Amino acid sequence: MKKKILCLMMTMIMLLSLGQAMAQGNDVTLTVLWFNDANESEVFKETVADYLEANPGVKLDVQVVAFDAYEKQLKLMLAGGNAPDLARMTTALMPVFSDALEPLEGHADIAEVEKAFAPSMLAFARNGEGKIVAYPTEATANGMLVNKTAFEKAGIDVVELSKTWTWDEWEEAARKVIAASDTVKYGLAVDFTPHRFSTIIYQFGGRMLTEDLSAVNFSNEGTVNAIKWFKRMHDEGLIPPSVWLSSEKPAELFQAGIIAGHIGGSWNINTYVGITDFEWTAVQCPKGEIRSSVPGGKFIAGFKDAKNKDEAMKLAGWFSDAEHNAKYCLGTNNLSSRVDVSIEYPANTEAFGVFSEELKVTPTYTAEEWNTAIVGKIGNAVKENVVQVLLGSMTAEEAAAEIDRQAAELMQ
Amino acid sequence: MPKAKRKGQKGNFHQTLTPLLFLSPNALIFVVFIIIPAVQGLRMSVMDWSILGTPKYIGLRNFERLLRDRVFGITVRNTVVYSLFMVLLITVFSLLLALLLYRNTLRGERLFRSAFYLPSLLSMITVGIAWRFIMGDEMGIINYVLRAWGAGEVGWLSDPKFAMGSVIFVSVWAQAGYYMVIMISGLQAIPQELYEAATIDGCGRKQSFWHITLPMLKSTVLVVIVLATISSFKAYELINVMTGGGPGYSTKFIVQQVYQVAFTEDRMGYASAMSVVLMAIIGVFTLLQFKLTGKEQDYE
Repeated sequence: MKKKILCLMMTMIMLLSLGQAMAQGNDVTLTVLWFNDANESEVFKETVADYLEANPGVKLDVQVVAFDAYEKQLKLMLAGGNAPDLARMTTALMPVFSDALEPLEGHADIAEVEKAFAPSMLAFARNGEGKIVAYPTEATANGMLVNKTAFEKAGIDVVELSKTWTWDEWEEAARKVIAASDTVKYGLAVDFTPHRFSTIIYQFGGRMLTEDLSAVNFSNEGTVNAIKWFKRMHDEGLIPPSVWLSSEKPAELFQAGIIAGHIGGSWNINTYVGITDFEWTAVQCPKGEIRSSVPGGKFIAGFKDAKNKDEAMKLAGWFSDAEHNAKYCLGTNNLSSRVDVSIEYPANTEAFGVFSEELKVTPTYTAEEWNTAIVGKIGNAVKENVVQVLLGSMTAEEAAAEIDRQAAELMQ
Repeated sequence: MPKAKRKGQKGNFHQTLTPLLFLSPNALIFVVFIIIPAVQGLRMSVMDWSILGTPKYIGLRNFERLLRDRVFGITVRNTVVYSLFMVLLITVFSLLLALLLYRNTLRGERLFRSAFYLPSLLSMITVGIAWRFIMGDEMGIINYVLRAWGAGEVGWLSDPKFAMGSVIFVSVWAQAGYYMVIMISGLQAIPQELYEAATIDGCGRKQSFWHITLPMLKSTVLVVIVLATISSFKAYELINVMTGGGPGYSTKFIVQQVYQVAFTEDRMGYASAMSVVLMAIIGVFTLLQFKLTGKEQDYE
C-alpha cells in the first residue's frame, strides 16, 4: 500500500514539474549587471518597461554592483563561465572586455548603428577586429563645475571670465574667492582618478602614451608640468590634500560649499541637481597649453558566452533606439550618444551645453589613449606615484619615470 | 599477538566510523572551500595568468619578481607593523575589559559588555564609513570640533604620520569587544578556590593576577593572539574604506596589493604568489606564537 502511495506521489510530482516546465518553456530571465552614478538602474528599468510589457516571457534580473567592485565582479563572472546577459560598460572597461563581448553584427543593422551614433563613441565600442560590440548609451565629458555664488561674492562673474580664462587667471580668481568667503576653503578639487587627472595632463600639453599608442610615456614635458602644477596647488592650499591623500569625495566637499570648483564630469550635473544652498554651474575649463576635456561614455553590451544572447541583444537594441535612448538620457540627466537625439532638459541646459562645447575642442588622441587596455591597467601606478609627489617623496620627473617603468613591467 | 592486534583494529574501525560520518559534511565543506582553493592558489602562483586568458606555466618567476618588488616590500612591512600593534593592543584591551566585566558583580555590567561587544557585530565597511565621518579632514567631526575651538586641523587619515595609528585605533575599537567575550569565558573558568587559597596565604590582588589569573588564562590568551594575528593579516575592508591604503603607501597592506594586482592590473598569477607569501607569513607567526606560549601548556 505504502509503495503504491509513494509511486502515485512520485508520478504527480513528475507531472506537475513537467507542466511547470512546459508553461515556463518560453520564459527567459535576462541577467543585467549594472552600476550606478546616481539613478541609472532605476531609469533603465523604467525605460525598458514597455519592452517587458510587449514580451511577457522576458524577465529582468538587474544586479547593481558598486562601481569600485564592478570590474572584479564582471571578471569573476566571466572566468567562472557565468557571464551576465547584458552589462553596463564604461569607456575604460570597453578595452578590457571587448574580446568577450558579442558583436552587434547579426543582431542589428550595422550601417544604421553607424549612422545613429556619434563616431567618437563608436570608436570606443569597437573590439580589436573593428567590430561594434556595444551600444553607446550616454556620452560624458570631464569638466569643471563651480560654486557660482562664491565667485559672485568675490565680485567675479565666473561665467564671463571662464570664456577665456587660463590656469593663471583661475588661480588669481580662486584666491579671491577663498579670501571673500567664510565657507570656501579651497579653489578646486580633482576626483581621485587617473581619468579626471588626465584632463589636466592634456590641458598642460601632456600625453600618457607615445604617439603610436604602443607604450606608456609619462616622461614628457607637458605631463611632468601637470604633475608639478598639481603639487604646487596642494602646497599653496588651493587644492584640499584630503582628496588625493585620504580619498575624501570632491562631490561631498562641493555640496558642502568647501571647494569653489570641481573637476568631475557631466554625470555630476545629476549629482548636483539637489543643491539649494548656493547656485552652481558648469564652466569651460581654464586653458593651459591647450583646451581639453576627456571624452567618455557608457555602453550596454551582451556577452559571447551569455545564455540568452539573442534575447539580450534584442533588449539592448530596443533600449538603444532613439526614443528609448532619449528617455533614458533625460531621466539620468546625461548627454545622448546618438546623433539623432535632441533632448530638452528641464534644468541645467547651459551646463550640458558647456560640456558639449568642451568635447568639440578636445583632441582625438585623448579618446585614442583611453581606448587602449594599458591605460586602464596603470590607474593605480598613476595615482600612487602622483601621491608620492604630493607627499614630497618623489619629484614629478621621478614619478613620471616610475609610472613608465611600472607600465613597461605590466606590458611584458 | 598480531592476530589480537588485527581484531582490535577492526573494533576501532567500527567505533570510529560513526564520528567520521558525522565529521564528513564539515570535512567536505573544508576540502571544497579551503583545501581545493588553496591548492589552486598554489598552482596559479607559478602561472602567468590574466583572468580572461589562458594560464601559462612560468616556474618560480613570480616569486623572483616579488623579491624585487619595492611596493610589495612596503606592504609586507606595513602588514607586520599593523599586526604587531593590533595584536598587542587587542590582547591588552580585551583582557582589561574582561577583568573589569567578568565577575557579574558590577551594576550595568551586562550593558557595558553589550556596548563593547556591539562594534564587532558591525560590518567593517560600516565601521570604516562611520569613522571616516569622524576622522575625515574636511568633513570629519573631530576636525570640526578642533576648528570650533580654534585649534589646527589634524590629518588623521591624510597625514602619513597619523594614518597608521588611526586605522590601528579603529581596528582595536571595532574588535576588542569580540576578544573580550573570549577572555571573559576564560576568566570565568578559573576555579574560585585558587583565589580563596591565595588570599588565605596572604596574596594581594596583584600577586593573584600574575600568579593565578595569567597562568590559568594562558591558553585563552593564545587563542586570542592567534585569532587576532590571522584577522589582522587579512584586514581589508576597514582599511580600504578608511584610507584606501593611503596616503601614498602608508596603510597599504598585502591583501590590498593582492586585490589590486589581481583585479586592476589583471595579473592573477602574480597576485597568487603574493597570497602564498602571505599564507607563509601567517603560518610562521602562528607557529611562533604556539612555540613561545605553548610550552608547559596542556590546552585543556
